[in-house]
Amino acid sequence: MQFELEPKHVHIITSEAAAVARRLQRRLGLPVCEREDLAQDLLVDLLRRLPAYDPAKGGLGAFSGLILRNQASRIAMKIMRERRAAGGFTVSLDAPAAEDDPRPLFEAISDTQGLAAWHGQHLSEAEKQQGRISIETALAQLPHCGQRLCAALSVNSVNTLCKGGFGSRSAIYRRISELRVVLTAHGLGASWDDLAAV
Amino acid sequence: MLMQHPPFTTVRSIRPLTEIEFAAWVAQAVPGDRLEYHRGFLVLDTFALFTKLDDRGRTELAKLGSRAFWAAEQGLVHLVQQRIAPDQFAYIAVARPKPKAAAASLSELLLAEPEAA
Repeated sequence: MQFELEPKHVHIITSEAAAVARRLQRRLGLPVCEREDLAQDLLVDLLRRLPAYDPAKGGLGAFSGLILRNQASRIAMKIMRERRAAGGFTVSLDAPAAEDDPRPLFEAISDTQGLAAWHGQHLSEAEKQQGRISIETALAQLPHCGQRLCAALSVNSVNTLCKGGFGSRSAIYRRISELRVVLTAHGLGASWDDLAAV
Repeated sequence: MLMQHPPFTTVRSIRPLTEIEFAAWVAQAVPGDRLEYHRGFLVLDTFALFTKLDDRGRTELAKLGSRAFWAAEQGLVHLVQQRIAPDQFAYIAVARPKPKAAAASLSELLLAEPEAA
């Protein structure tokens, strides 16, 4: 039987979602501004599952509570997984930098400490230029077909290259694996100091 | 006056090296640096009947040996062996000055690519 939503039900659902979002935000140590986003994520899941609600089996509050709790634990697991992947807690850039420093965090972090720098993105013009010279020097050591493959890979996916006459997928991946070692030997790739330390 | 040059470094890994580690060493080594990339009898150690290595270790060693040979052909290293016991050799790569080549123009390669692909 299709359950018809009345205004009093909407109130039950939204207040349940708000309560669960508040608990989740506190438990995960998230900033208060995240609370509404969490409530919306919880509500979306609840509304999707609402057609399965059968009033004969229990109250809407109990049904909502169960669904919201399950979704809350899924959200918590996702956030914890992201934190583990990021190597620690994520904090809001709008939060104060420190107890004695009221500036927002984004004003206190330099470019070189940012996420882009962690992932190896060159930020200063000098670094970009140096990177470009290193790439051009290493590419010069490759045969023409290797240079062409590198250039093609920088703008196309492997699937596109298959259609563009670069060979089969497995052949392209074999060549990439070979190129990885060759480019490493010419200075583009993991450094010996990093690898030897492992 | 005597010319000063940086001291050469000899590296011997405590565990079997991989191909990519060898390549990384080649990139970073200054001329004269030495890397002992294998100790044993390389030909026999890569041969299933004679080796104590498992399949994976044997494959890795074969790749490493081939990469060392490739690096020597490219003029990046000299390969030498030092006899340390009967049927026991230290396989050593000695870094050479990096071959000079005119840098390839990245812009030209990228401009040419849409036509090629």
